[in-house]
Order: sequence, then C-alpha cells, then structure tokens
Amino acid sequence: MPAQTLYPRATVKKIVKAHANRPLSRNVDILIFLNYALFMQELLKESRIQAKTSGERGISAKSVRKVREGVLRKFKG
Amino acid sequence: MAEPSRKRLRTTPRNSEGPPDANAETPYNDPSTPNRRASSAGPTPGRRTPNIVVRTPGATARTPRGGPATRPISARRAAPTTPHAIRALRERANAARTPGHVRRRSGRIQRETPRDTLRALSRTLARGSQPLEPSPPSEDQRPRNPALDLPNIEDGPDPVVPRLSMPLDDMYEDNSFHDAPPRQSLLPDLPDDVDTGTMHSLEFGRRAYSEDPRAMFGARVSERFGDLNELGVDGEDFEVDGTFINRRRTLNADQLLEEAIDDVLDDTTTEIRALTGRRDGRQSDIDLGVFGEDLDDQDEPTFRFTIPQRIRAATTDEQRDVTQLDEEVFVGAEADAGLDVEPDAAAQVDEMSRGFEAVGWESDNDDGNDMDLQAYRDEASAIDRSLQTETESPDRPATADRRARRQRRELKLSKSGLEYPSFPSATVKRLASGLVKSQGGNTKISKETLATLVQTTDWFFEQVGEDLAAYAQHAGRKMIEDADVVALMKRQRQVTKNNTSFSLAQKMLPRELLQELRMEPVKKLKRQKRKRMETINEDEDED
Repeated sequence: MPAQTLYPRATVKKIVKAHANRPLSRNVDILIFLNYALFMQELLKESRIQAKTSGERGISAKSVRKVREGVLRKFKG
Repeated sequence: MAEPSRKRLRTTPRNSEGPPDANAETPYNDPSTPNRRASSAGPTPGRRTPNIVVRTPGATARTPRGGPATRPISARRAAPTTPHAIRALRERANAARTPGHVRRRSGRIQRETPRDTLRALSRTLARGSQPLEPSPPSEDQRPRNPALDLPNIEDGPDPVVPRLSMPLDDMYEDNSFHDAPPRQSLLPDLPDDVDTGTMHSLEFGRRAYSEDPRAMFGARVSERFGDLNELGVDGEDFEVDGTFINRRRTLNADQLLEEAIDDVLDDTTTEIRALTGRRDGRQSDIDLGVFGEDLDDQDEPTFRFTIPQRIRAATTDEQRDVTQLDEEVFVGAEADAGLDVEPDAAAQVDEMSRGFEAVGWESDNDDGNDMDLQAYRDEASAIDRSLQTETESPDRPATADRRARRQRRELKLSKSGLEYPSFPSATVKRLASGLVKSQGGNTKISKETLATLVQTTDWFFEQVGEDLAAYAQHAGRKMIEDADVVALMKRQRQVTKNNTSFSLAQKMLPRELLQELRMEPVKKLKRQKRKRMETINEDEDED
C-alpha cells in the first residue's frame, strides 16, 4: 500500500478533463490514478537503477530526468 | 332545581307544587326559612349546574356567595375536629367549586354579556361591510397608525392606561423610531476616544431626517452609505465624517470655514443642532456634505480606496499602544524578508499572499502611523494625510499585478484551451516516498527531485488525457469511461492475462479507493472484461 491517503480526486479529474476536453465518467479517475501510481512506480524504479549505475546514493533529479522520457514513452498508449 | 323543592317540602309543604324561585319571596315561606331561601334563590339557578346541587343536599351548599370560609358542610354533619379532616373537607369543597366542567365553555350555560352581543354583531356585519377608506388617503394615514396600534396594546396582559391620554405625536415618534435605519447598532463600535458629544453629532450628518420626505431620505441614505459600506467602513461613521471633512477642507475654502465653525461647536450637541437648524434643507444636503455626492464624484478612485484602510489603522492605533503596533510592523517586515529568501515554490506563493496583505496594511502604517495619530488628535495635519494617500496610491497597481501573476501561474492552459490546476506536489511527494520505501530505497526525496517528478507528472497526465480522449473517440463515445483506461493500461502492458486491473488496484491503491471501484455493478465489470477480450482479438486480427 504505497499511498496511505486519498489523492485529490477533483484535481485529477479536472486535469484529465482539461487535457482530453471530454467529460469523465464517475470513477474513471480512480483507474487513472492507478495508472499514474503504476507510472510513478516504474519511473522511480528506473531512476533508482539509473542512480545506482551512475554511482549516486539516492534518487536525484538528474536520474529522474534521464529516465522519464523512456518511461513516458512506455506509458504512451 | 329539584333540591330546593325537596327542602321546602320539609319545611313548608304548601310550596312544593309551585316553582321554587317564584315562591321564594312569597309571604308563606317567611315564617319557616326567611333568610336562607332569599339568599339562595337568586344565584343558584344561574351559576349552579344541577350536578353539584344533587351531590350536596345542604342548604349551605347552595349558597356560593359565602366563599370558602363558610363553605364547609361541617355545620350539617359532625364538625371535623382534626386538622387533617378539616383540610380534606376544604379541599373537596374547593374541588367542587372549581371543577373542570365549570370552566369548560361547552358545558356551561352561556350568559350573554354586552361584549358577546357586540361580537356577534361584528361577525354578522363583517361579511357585508368593507374597511373604511378616507377620501384624502395620505393625510389620514398618520393618525391611523397609532389608532391601529392602540387595541394591540390594550389586548396585552398589562394594559397601560395613560397611553390613551398621551399625545398622538409621541406615539407617532415611537413608530418612526422603529422605522429608522439601523444606525443605532453602529454606535457602540465607536472608539473610546470619541466623546458622547460627537456620538450625537451623527444626527448632524443626517439632519435631513426631520426635513425631508421619508422615502427620499431612505433612498439617499442607502446611496451614500453604500459607497462606504463597500469599503468595509461600518462602525467608523464618525471617522469617515472626519476624513471627508478634512478632504474637503483641502478642496474648498468656504467649507473650510464652515468646518472650523463646526470644530468650535463640536463639544455641545445642542449648538450643533442649532447650527443645523439654521441651515436651509436643500442647501444643507450639499453643504453638510459629509457624504456629498458631487464631491464623491470628483474624488479619484484611488483616494476612495485607500481611505478606509488608513482609518482602520488609525482606530487600531487608538485601541492598542503605539509601541505595540511598531513592534508588530517590525515583525511583519522581518517575516517578509525571511520569506523572500526562501526558494520553495509553495513558500513563495505564501509570500505572495502575505506580501499582498502586508503591502496593503502594514507598510501603510509604517509610513503614516504617527501622522495618522496626529491627524486624529488634532485635525490640523489632515492635509498631510490626504497628500500621503495620493503619494502612496501608485503602490496599488503593483500589488494587483502580483496577484494576477500568481493566478496565472496557478492555472495552466491545456492544448484544448481549458484551464487546469497543477497536480499538488504534496501528493506526488507522498506517493513517491511511499513507492521508494516499498522498493527499499532511501526515502528522502530532495526538492529538486520532487520538482522534476511534479513536472513529469504533469506531462504524464497530459499524455494520458490525450490518449484517453483518442480511445473514447474511437469507441464513438463522448465520455471517457473505465473501459478506455483499461484499454490504455492494456496497451501499456500493465494489464495482462494474469494481471487484471483489479489485482493492480489491490496492490497499489488504498482501501477506500478500492471500495469506490467495487461499488460499480459486477455485470459491468464482466462486460468490460469481455470487451477487452474482443479488442484483443481485433488487435490480433489487425496485426
């Protein structure tokens, strides 16, 4: 259980709605947030690997920046 | 009625045939029971219900005039000696005297009072009659109001007798007092420094009260006070008066003279009233002009805008010590400086809001604190104050600009031209740290990393939104549904044969969200799965 508390549902809905320019059905935002959580998991995993290979201790912004393009592409439908 | 006849049977058998009441005064009865019968004959038929008479056969029971003391039937029976018995008897007698059925209207024989007849008359007349309308309506309304009020007063539990003798004008004043605008509630808010003489001078401001027609007055008051109330000056009417007076002094020399006269007379209300009485009604509206329209129009908006704030600051000055306020200003400045140094975005936003307020209030105080106080103590330096407001007014646009910038930063525009808020960084941080912990790494996420993650999040949502829109359009739907997201996750290879969206949700999402997902009917979910299978087949065919 990574996320212990609820995320701002209304905000997620608004963001996706603005990008898609379409209305969302009732509980889509939960699935979208699930997708987002998976994406973050993947992103952090990749960036951790990247950080390790480049010899850093924790996850740095640099490693995230290196990795994120690939992960975003992976999550492109 | 049977009872007296029986009694008479005992004493004088001759009278038994005749009606008892008629015989009561006959000379035949006189030798036997002269006094009692005469006394009982009058009241009994009217007041007594037959029940009681049957129950208490004694002659004394039939004389209600006697009152509670004579009431006990002990004379007839053996007199009760013990106090308990006496009391019990008395209580019984009392209960008999005021029982429910006597009080009840329906059971009682209604006696006709003049009031009842009048009532019946009014009821019968009310259908046909119509309320009287005087031919000159406006003049008659005045005396009619108190006349209508009078019956209400009399109906009350304590009728005030002298009211009737009171002059009608007084009554009218009472009414007008209730109708008056709710200015009285404002008076207690006045600062302590203001003496009572100035409180009365509020009347001075609206002297038109006695002279103008009422409707006109009300409209005008609302007009004038609307401006001031918008600026949040509720309680400080007097201060507003003062500032406006000062302002006008700079503008007009004649009014300066007049206000000087006012200052001289300021102590005593009577003199002020005399002054106001001296002036002409129309003219005074403009001259008095604490709230004069023409002058308000002449004033620049910036001046109007700043006035209330400085007034408020001045009043707070009066309430606190000056030293205290200085300290506060100092602290505020410090806080501003500290926030400026901080590079965090959220903190900057805070600083924006804080700074906006601070510029609005504290810096003003900083500059004109002592000046304001002086201006309040003696009106001489008021010109300086008005000058200050003009010099400080350029500050306003800058702060407004800042606020606008802040709003712009908060709301972004999507490709389709819709505004959307940025994903909260706190949520990103929470999620990311939770994920890192579950992966067994170092939980700490630096600010820079967090900023990058938030940016990535925004990109991700943009991408997802466009993808979902494309999917929904492909399905011929306007609305984005669960199926679209499931299809997207399928395309992302997140949802596979042995890894459904629900197993993923179970793994990733908190329980509350899972419940929300499961609240949907099961049928729908099954259909989704079937659809997914179909799409898979189609995909394979296409491929």
